[in-house]
Amino acid sequence: MIMIKPDRRLILNFDWTLLILVLLLSGIGLFNIYSAGFSLKDIHRAPPYVKQIQWILIGIAGMAVAFFIDYRFLFRHAYFFYGISVILLLVVFMTGYATRGSQRWISIGNFTFQPSELVKLTVILALAKYFDRHRLGTDYQLRKLFIPFMIVMIPFLFILKQPDLGTGLILIIMFLSIVLFVGLEWKSILIATIGTLLMSPVFWYFLKPYQQERILTFFSPDRDPLGSGYHIIQSMIAVGSGGLFGKGFLKGSQTQLKFLPEQQTDFVFSVFAEEWGFLGGMILMIMFMSLILWGLKIAMYAKDYLGALVAFGITILIFWELFINIGMVLGILPVVGIPLPFLSYGGSSMVVLMAAVGLLMNISVRRFILQS
Amino acid sequence: MQMSHDRLDEYESGQFKRKFRLLLILVIVTAMLIMMRLWYLQVTKGDELRQRSENNSVRLRKIKSMRGLIMDTRRQVLVDNQPSFDLVFVPNRSRDINNTIEKVKALYEERSLAVPSLASFTGKIKPLVSVILERNIGMEKLAVVETHALELPGLVAEVTPIRQYLTGEMTAQIIGFTGEISREELDQEREEPLTPGDIIGKFGIEKYLDGHLRGKNGAEQIEVNASGKAVRSLGKIKSLTGGNVVLTIDSALQEAAWNAIGNRRGALVAMDPRNGAVLALVSSPSFDPNLFNSGISFRDWERLANDRRHPMENRSISGQYPPASTYKPIVAAAALEEGLITPETTFYCNGAFQMGDRTFRCWLERGHGHVNLHRAIVESCDVYFYNLGQKLGVDKIAAYARAFGLGSPLGIDLTREKGGLIPTKQWKLDRLGESWQVGETISLSIGQGFNLVTPLQLANVYATLANGGALYRPRLVKQLESSDGLVVKVFGPEKMKTLPVSARNIQIINQALWGVVNEKGGTGHILKRKAADVAGKTGTAQVIGLPQDDRARKVKRASTDFMDHALFACFAPYGNPEIAVAVILEHAGHGGSAAAPVARKFIDAYFDRMKAIHPKPPESEATGEEKTTP
Repeated sequence: MIMIKPDRRLILNFDWTLLILVLLLSGIGLFNIYSAGFSLKDIHRAPPYVKQIQWILIGIAGMAVAFFIDYRFLFRHAYFFYGISVILLLVVFMTGYATRGSQRWISIGNFTFQPSELVKLTVILALAKYFDRHRLGTDYQLRKLFIPFMIVMIPFLFILKQPDLGTGLILIIMFLSIVLFVGLEWKSILIATIGTLLMSPVFWYFLKPYQQERILTFFSPDRDPLGSGYHIIQSMIAVGSGGLFGKGFLKGSQTQLKFLPEQQTDFVFSVFAEEWGFLGGMILMIMFMSLILWGLKIAMYAKDYLGALVAFGITILIFWELFINIGMVLGILPVVGIPLPFLSYGGSSMVVLMAAVGLLMNISVRRFILQS
Repeated sequence: MQMSHDRLDEYESGQFKRKFRLLLILVIVTAMLIMMRLWYLQVTKGDELRQRSENNSVRLRKIKSMRGLIMDTRRQVLVDNQPSFDLVFVPNRSRDINNTIEKVKALYEERSLAVPSLASFTGKIKPLVSVILERNIGMEKLAVVETHALELPGLVAEVTPIRQYLTGEMTAQIIGFTGEISREELDQEREEPLTPGDIIGKFGIEKYLDGHLRGKNGAEQIEVNASGKAVRSLGKIKSLTGGNVVLTIDSALQEAAWNAIGNRRGALVAMDPRNGAVLALVSSPSFDPNLFNSGISFRDWERLANDRRHPMENRSISGQYPPASTYKPIVAAAALEEGLITPETTFYCNGAFQMGDRTFRCWLERGHGHVNLHRAIVESCDVYFYNLGQKLGVDKIAAYARAFGLGSPLGIDLTREKGGLIPTKQWKLDRLGESWQVGETISLSIGQGFNLVTPLQLANVYATLANGGALYRPRLVKQLESSDGLVVKVFGPEKMKTLPVSARNIQIINQALWGVVNEKGGTGHILKRKAADVAGKTGTAQVIGLPQDDRARKVKRASTDFMDHALFACFAPYGNPEIAVAVILEHAGHGGSAAAPVARKFIDAYFDRMKAIHPKPPESEATGEEKTTP
């Protein structure tokens, strides 16, 4: 077992940019959650921002572990971690308790944990390991993708059953991104696209009515402004009413008066945009883009293929979550439950993302160490 | 170990870099896309969406003004305000009003509270327009609704001041009532625009002085949260309380008059002959104006509107009755003034008066024998006045009647005052297309026939006689005050005209009226008092006779509806009149036996009250007594 080897070079070549960006984003998220929960006077529970601080601290611990560990150790046991996370999903499936009609959580004492968040990371590791092991030197054909496909489909089906369309969707998009990244034949791309288009009516049939409703609503939110269209309309009003400079911290009327649904979790960006305006939104986007471009840089300069794949996977995960979440908040994508990385309230997403960033740092720094 | 994992050829090669370049483009394009969308929402459509966010959260709430107080002449409050709670549905996220109504009904039923017939609303109601579900809910219902507020989205209990009519039925026709403005009333032009849901005066003083009493609504901008609950006030324009009104009515006298009439149908008007101030104005039967406070129920309204006794009609100003013998002083004044008779002129009454082929009877079948004017009035001899009528002719009588303020409304401070009817030859020709019959003048001279007067007019005629010939406008409003009691306007006596009758002739008539009460054989002797003697006149107005064939069938009805109206009009004290009173009781029989006792009770109450307010020094009482001897 190769465990933590204190190495002077880990500190010397430490990726400060990444750390600062992530801490800044989490800090902004904290203020934002404070505002979103500001007028929620629930004396029985700790205010959400207090819990979020706990999550950030746990996340930083996770980040440290992922950083100091030799990532080859993680990679060697990637399938094992994958297996554990799928078993956890199975546990949720069997015993998870119902919250808002969906079973997503495992309770550990006071904390609840969402295995589907963990799966995002373990799937990346498993896929990276598979593609690293089965390097062809050329683009892949569809039939060579059966095993990686199954790696994604098993957790995907469990997650769909929860039902958590958003996370399921992220898994599929991750899979497609990684496959395209490792290379797919043009013919295969064509066949897969046509196949998906043909299958989409069947897929539609399997969606729950409320999920269908959300997608229809996306195309015309005014169908039912107080029903399924309510979220998106209120969110767009919140964002738009922020204007150029925003209404100011704790002054967003949409937020403070609770017109926004899920304002601490999936719709945190509307809180931010309402209170900080276009200017704030732009700064936040620049920070996210820097993070993503930095992640891509790490992937590009990773010392080995496996590290590059993992770094790419993590970065593209953050990218897609960001894009789908903000796209949803701004009304350019349908409403699917995907948290905004580092800003949404919620422990599982925060801890897993922090750990993933730790891994990114790990890959970033070991570029120098491995050279020796 | 695993460190040997080296980069593949492809990994080293440009292929790998190309993929990252594509990724870079993808990331930048999506970032641009998001920034453009953000710009579109926040800058291009920013103002519009900001407006929508304000519409979301800002509501304009009307602050209802309180109406002014209405007081009697001694500043005793007759109409007050009290807070009441209306159940209001404010459409919000939950626009399903019917669901909320059902829940409210269920809550009421659970506690066996009266379930109102809450209107059901078809389909979705307009956003932001609140609907009043139930007015004036009691404390019990308020508690139920407040404790279940979370289950009743959109439901609010709104405070509204409502009227409290402390003197109830007694003053209902004077003071009137208020109600929610109707669509027609909204269309009327006003100085200050009114909006649906505003409360305005509908009847009586409440209507007549609505502009002064109403005050001005205020408004409040409130911020509401997503469930429609008020979070804070953003700005407030205070409502202005309406001004107060002080009436000339003395509520103690009003009560005395109300009690004197009892449950009979009729009216009593009392006024101060020195200035035209109305001291009591009663119409019976009446209604409870407090019924209108919470929007009268359909059942109550039907009961009131269909009551054959017409409780909503203010008989004292809009009831029109033949004046009967109370009219005789006017005919007498006309004959004296025209020089057709002197006080000494006598006519012989054998109980009937022949006019062509018609016989006009005196009420006393055996006749009064030789009578002069004084006796004719005291004993109410009809034949004497038939003679006067024949000498005067209809148009002369009409001219004097008009001079006494009959035939047109006097202009009291109320709506719906009627003018009565004083016929002339021309009137009959115009109205009925027939020429005047001389016989009609004969009926007219004893106040029968086409003649109609209101109780108010009758009281005013006697007030005019009492004060020696000054015709004042009857006034109900003493002064207008601001809500904090500063006097805005005082109404003094308004003399409209002077009688074209000499003081001496008035004196002759008044002496006779004194005789009616105080002399032997007078028809009004029931009013004879030790102090402060009364001068007055009885009257018994024939109600149109029954058709012969109907009589048999409707004997029972005839016994009430076709009985004569009883009248009495008077003033007192004779020597120095302070009060003039007219009493009319419908279908009550004779003036002397039915109306005069009511007048007596009232006059007694009046002097008791005056004694209680200003205990008179004994010497002034003595002078009063001295003067009263004619």
